Amino acid sequence: MYPLNLTKEGEEVVVKCINCHCEDVCRLNELGCIEGAKGVIISNQKNVIFKVGETRLAINSDIAKSILVSSN
Amino acid sequence: MEQTPKTIALVGNPNTGKSTVFNALTGLRQKIANYPGITVERKVGTSIIGGVLHQIIDLPGAYSLNYKKLDERIAYQALIGSYEHEEKPDLVLAVVDVTNLDRNLFLVSQLLDLEIPVILVLNMMDVAEQKQITINEQILSENLGIPVISISAKKREDIERLKQFVAKAELSPPSPLAWLDSFQLRQALGKVKKEWIQPHTNIPESAQHTEALRLISEGNFEYVFYTFEEQEKGLKVIEQAREILEQAGENPMATEVLQRYDFIDRCTKDATQQNTDTSLSITDRIDSVVTHKVFGPIIFTSILLLMFQAIFSWATPFMDFIDLIFIETGNWVANALPPGILNDLLVEGVIAGLGGVVIFLPQIVFLFFFIYILEGTGYMARAAFVMDGFMTKVGLHGRSVVPLMSGFACAIPGIMAARTIENWRDRIITIMVLPFMACSARLPVYALLIAAFIPATPVLGIFTYQGITFFGLYIFGIVMALLAAAVMKWFFPSGQQTPFIMELPAYKLPKWDVVFKNVADRGWIFVKEAGKIIVAISIVLWFLASFPGVDQQEYDQNAYEGETIESYQLRNSFAGKFGQIIEPTIEPLGFDWKIGIGLLTSFAAREVMVGTLNTIYSIEGSDEDIVTLKEKLINDTDPETGQPIYSIATALSLMVFFALAMQCMSTIAIVRRETNSWKWPTAMFVYMSALAYVCSLITFQVGSNL
Repeated sequence: MYPLNLTKEGEEVVVKCINCHCEDVCRLNELGCIEGAKGVIISNQKNVIFKVGETRLAINSDIAKSILVSSN
Repeated sequence: MEQTPKTIALVGNPNTGKSTVFNALTGLRQKIANYPGITVERKVGTSIIGGVLHQIIDLPGAYSLNYKKLDERIAYQALIGSYEHEEKPDLVLAVVDVTNLDRNLFLVSQLLDLEIPVILVLNMMDVAEQKQITINEQILSENLGIPVISISAKKREDIERLKQFVAKAELSPPSPLAWLDSFQLRQALGKVKKEWIQPHTNIPESAQHTEALRLISEGNFEYVFYTFEEQEKGLKVIEQAREILEQAGENPMATEVLQRYDFIDRCTKDATQQNTDTSLSITDRIDSVVTHKVFGPIIFTSILLLMFQAIFSWATPFMDFIDLIFIETGNWVANALPPGILNDLLVEGVIAGLGGVVIFLPQIVFLFFFIYILEGTGYMARAAFVMDGFMTKVGLHGRSVVPLMSGFACAIPGIMAARTIENWRDRIITIMVLPFMACSARLPVYALLIAAFIPATPVLGIFTYQGITFFGLYIFGIVMALLAAAVMKWFFPSGQQTPFIMELPAYKLPKWDVVFKNVADRGWIFVKEAGKIIVAISIVLWFLASFPGVDQQEYDQNAYEGETIESYQLRNSFAGKFGQIIEPTIEPLGFDWKIGIGLLTSFAAREVMVGTLNTIYSIEGSDEDIVTLKEKLINDTDPETGQPIYSIATALSLMVFFALAMQCMSTIAIVRRETNSWKWPTAMFVYMSALAYVCSLITFQVGSNL
């Protein structure tokens, strides 16, 4: 497992764990970013664009650091 | 459905086409665009369905009923019947983006718990077909336990089909908590309801499941809007409920969400088929460039520069045409009516005042045209993403970008769009600095002064000094907003930072009919609103500037050398005398009494300044003069010294004053409404006006001594 901010563009990953503040976990979950969700990295330029299903999530680097993923 | 009038609420995630459905059902023209959060307040219309007139409510988009932002809270309160003492709706049309079904069904799974009949409206079927997504409505309906219909809200026949479907549907509330499998979560939920919510709060019964689940997952009362007692007891009960889950190895923060997604997975598994192609779409490819850390800000700045240059260049022929129409109309009225007060009032008062402002309609139209294109394509959300890092450094939030950019059109929708910002501190700072963004009402003043005093010399082939000055004024507004935000962040307790998490919509071509309709609406509003104020002020001003009259003998005895009788009369009119009283206050800024009168009237609305100057200069001009206001400003001289009134330093000082001063009654009123206090609009008026005075003073004093 490694944080989302260390992924590369085009990489396909699975969300393993979300370790941020409770409200941010809720927001990410509502947007479809839940443990076990598969996604692809669209852009990783400090801030990250992470596509989960058909949802493109723009996430800042602090939150990206708290989302642990593994390669799909 | 029973043949009685009902209240039907449109609910769904942001950017799923709710407002398009609302407009199609009601015939209204609620604003739509391609970014999340365009609807920030509840809109109401009516529609005849099955021969009965029903009330339709368009609620702000929400990802879930766990409200964090003001717009989400409005949606939730309206659904549970707690919004301004209104009854809860009789029926919910849950509008979902069928191309992103699972995520959208998360909210629907929460709606099912509210004990209101729900119809699932699968929108954007045209896009789904392109993506080879197929849905079996029958199976999905059976699995969810509610009626389901597929539509494309853009198609009129689909809206008719939706109406017929709603009219014929058998409506009954679905069973709440159908998704809930976990015994422990059910036990924890029951505990919070029974031991705290029911005895100690005024939450309606149908919302108690939702509220209990929200309290269990978040563990605090931070966002609670209802009245309650014995908070300490409530916290203890919530803690005990969370312990039930933890002892069973479940995470209180995540267990509800995971079970809802399991339920959704079960419901959609055999009801949907979709192409599993995971290759990058066009949107993804564009995003890799547009949101690049180097190219992104360059693209953002270039778009703004091109936009403002185009507004200045493209509008010129249309403005010349409107100017000609008003001059010819003035001449025609002057010749058609006998000389006298009515003739003077119409020509020098009403036509001159109105013409001075309406001439800027083409620039307003082009400004809104570009803004609606940026909104329609989905670029606005990218601008927020690109600018987030920078905005955070100056004390704002990435989400502040969309309200601030809306402020280029008008501060009022921008201030309302700040409802999408979760954190109170970020929201209030955004509201307090937003009026610095150069709104369309400033445009007539900028355009007049730039055209009069800045040369149209070409620069780099495609730009001119005029266009660059115009762009510079917009940048000046942005810089001042950012500086003000950076200062304000020291005055507000920082609290917990809200990180940037935002959905980026797919890029789309703008809906041209919507763009043109919206532009036409905004153009008409500009003419109507500005026109109402300007006609009224022009008539009053004409009277004050025309009376008392002077006779030839008085003029011969008292006029300065070379001063015309019209100038002498104006200087000694009621308006002239009042202007000369305030002149010492504004003289250090380079302004004479005529500009002073314009500044006073512009506190009603900024664009009134131009109409005021046009009226004053029309009265001062002789009957034979047929020159534009621009030429009158260039040629105006001080009767005492014979020196030109306007220099480049005066023009720059005036533009700086307009860039910074709080001169809009409507903005003050909306800040009062959004902050529910007079404290913030008062503080805004005082600090912006003081800043305008000081910066204008520095500009003139430095500029005139260079």
